Amino acid sequence: MSSRTLALLAALGLALSIGSAVGRAQTPAAAPGIPRGADGKPDLSGIWQSLSGADYGLEPHLATKDGPPGAGVVEGNVIPYQPAALQQRAKNFAARATADPRTKCFTLGTPRGIYSNEPFQIFQRPRDLTLLFEFGHPVRTINTNGTEHPDGHIDFWLGDSRGQWEGDTLAVDVTDFNGETWLDRVGDYNSDELHLVERWSYLDRNTIRYRATFDDPKVYTKPWTIEVLLYRRLEPNVQIIENYCSTLEYGEHYPVPSTK
Amino acid sequence: MILGALAIVPVIASAQNLRGWRESSFVPTPKGEWTGARLSDGQPDVSGHWSNTIGNHNNLIDPQGPLGADDEAAPTENGRQNARRVKPRSERAPSRISDPPDGQIPLQPWARAKQQEFLKYLNNPIQPEYVEPFARCAPGGPSKSFMWHGYEIRQFPGSVVFLFDSGNRVIYIDGKPHLPTNLKLWNGDSRGHWEGNTLVVDTTNNNSKARLGRSGEFVSENATIAERFIFDPSGDRFTYDATYTDPTVLTRPFTITIPNRRVTDKTPADDWNNLTFPAKHAGNEPIIEAYERVCVEGNGNHGQVAVGSK
Repeated sequence: MSSRTLALLAALGLALSIGSAVGRAQTPAAAPGIPRGADGKPDLSGIWQSLSGADYGLEPHLATKDGPPGAGVVEGNVIPYQPAALQQRAKNFAARATADPRTKCFTLGTPRGIYSNEPFQIFQRPRDLTLLFEFGHPVRTINTNGTEHPDGHIDFWLGDSRGQWEGDTLAVDVTDFNGETWLDRVGDYNSDELHLVERWSYLDRNTIRYRATFDDPKVYTKPWTIEVLLYRRLEPNVQIIENYCSTLEYGEHYPVPSTK
Repeated sequence: MILGALAIVPVIASAQNLRGWRESSFVPTPKGEWTGARLSDGQPDVSGHWSNTIGNHNNLIDPQGPLGADDEAAPTENGRQNARRVKPRSERAPSRISDPPDGQIPLQPWARAKQQEFLKYLNNPIQPEYVEPFARCAPGGPSKSFMWHGYEIRQFPGSVVFLFDSGNRVIYIDGKPHLPTNLKLWNGDSRGHWEGNTLVVDTTNNNSKARLGRSGEFVSENATIAERFIFDPSGDRFTYDATYTDPTVLTRPFTITIPNRRVTDKTPADDWNNLTFPAKHAGNEPIIEAYERVCVEGNGNHGQVAVGSK
C-alpha cells in the first residue's frame, strides 16, 4: 500500500469519525457486521444506486454538453476494442442522441442497469436475487440455486445470470446477451458473445463493491474490468417508483382524453 | 377443508383454442385459515408460477365470448378471418364482475358511452386514445394483469412481488405509508397484509390508464382498489377479488373476480398459461423458470391494432 493511499485512508478515517460523531444524534451506530440471511450468506437486499457517473462514459472523460466529467471506472482506463469495433463505437457516438437504447426507453441491460444513474432494488432469497430496476421497471433474476445456463444461445436483453457465493462474494456468470444494449451514453458496447463475470461484495453494510469483467471475442482484444461502488439508499421514504418510460409519449391519452 | 378446486369443470381445448386452461366455471376460494407451508417470516408460502384459468383481457364481462357485434369479423394475427367457434353463453365462463349481480360494471352514462366508443374503434383506432394501451406494452394495471399470460409470485420479508408478462408490481407488507397521492402509477401503489389465507391489499395512486379489458371498460385516477388474494391451503389455487370504488366514473362500487391456478412442472407447455421451462441443473428435483419479460423492446403489431401511432 503506497504512502499516498495510507494518507488518503487516514483522512477518510478522520472524516468518518467526525461524520459519525455528528450523525450519531439521529442514527444509531452502524452495526459492525454486514447484513446476512438465514443461510449465513451476505444479504444484498435493499435499494442501491451508483454515484459513479459511469453511464456518462465508462472511460475517463471531460465534461460535455451531455454530461459531467468522470475519472472513469475501467481498470487501465481504456477499453481494449478491436479496430473495427472502435469504428463502430464512433458510429454509435455520432448517433447517440437517437441510437442509444436508453433514449428509446429500452431495458438498459446488464451491466448498464447496475451503474446507470437510476436506482434498483435487490430482493434476495437463497434460490435467487431479484433485481428490479426503476428505469423501465424490468426485472433481472440472478439464479443462485445451482442451475446452469440453458443450452444453446438465447438472446436476452438482460442476459442469463447464474451466481454462486464464494465466501462473502457473489460471483455471477452472465451469458446469452442479445447484443442490442449499450454500456453507456457514449456508445460503448458489446456483442451477443459477451461473457460477463460479476463480483458483488460488501465494502461496508451500506456499500457494495461491484466488479465486472467483460470478455467478448467479437469486440475486444482482451478481457477488461470495471469497478463501481453501489450505495444503499437510506431515505426513510425511498421506494422504487415505476418508471415505464416508454409510456410517457402516449400516457396523456388515457384513461380518457382530457378536455382542453 | 376447502375443496373448491374439485368443483372446477375443465374445458378441453378446441382446435381453434389450444391455449391451455379455459375453465367455464369455478368455485371461489373461501377466506379462512392458512394451513399450508409458511416462509421463515411467517407468510403463507405462495411463491411460484401462476396463471388465470378463464381467458384473456379481450372481453371483461364475457371472458370466453365474442367482443362486440363485429368480433367475428376481426382479423386474426395471421390475417385470416376469425373462425373461432363460440359456445352458448351458459357454457362460457361467467362475467368477471361478481358484483353487482348483473355482471356489468356500473358505469355512469357518460362513461358507458365512452366505453362503447373505445370498443367501436378498437380495431380502427383513428384517435390515439382508441389504441388499447396494453397493445403498446403498457402495464396491464392491478386487475388486468391477471387476465393475461402466466406470471410469477416471489415473496420476501416485507413484500410480495408479482412478475407479469407486461410490467411488474411490488405489494409492500411492511406497514409503510402510501406514496404521496399525486403520484399516479400504472400499477398503483399497493400496501397489504395477510389475514389467514388471504393477502389483503389496499391499492391507491392508480393512474387507471390501463383499461379493464379490450372491451373498453375503465375507471378514473380517483379509483381505489381493495384487493383480496385468497389462497387455497392446498397451494394449487387462489381467487383474486378486487373491489373498485370510484365516484368519478361509477354509480356504485364493483368487484372483479378471477380464478388462478398454480403452474408446475406438470403443467402442459402452452405458451400462454405456462411460460416456464425446465431449468438445467444436475439435480433430480424439477425446477422451472421463466424467460426474462420484456415487451417494448421487441414490440410489433400485436393485439390486432396499430401500435406505432402516436
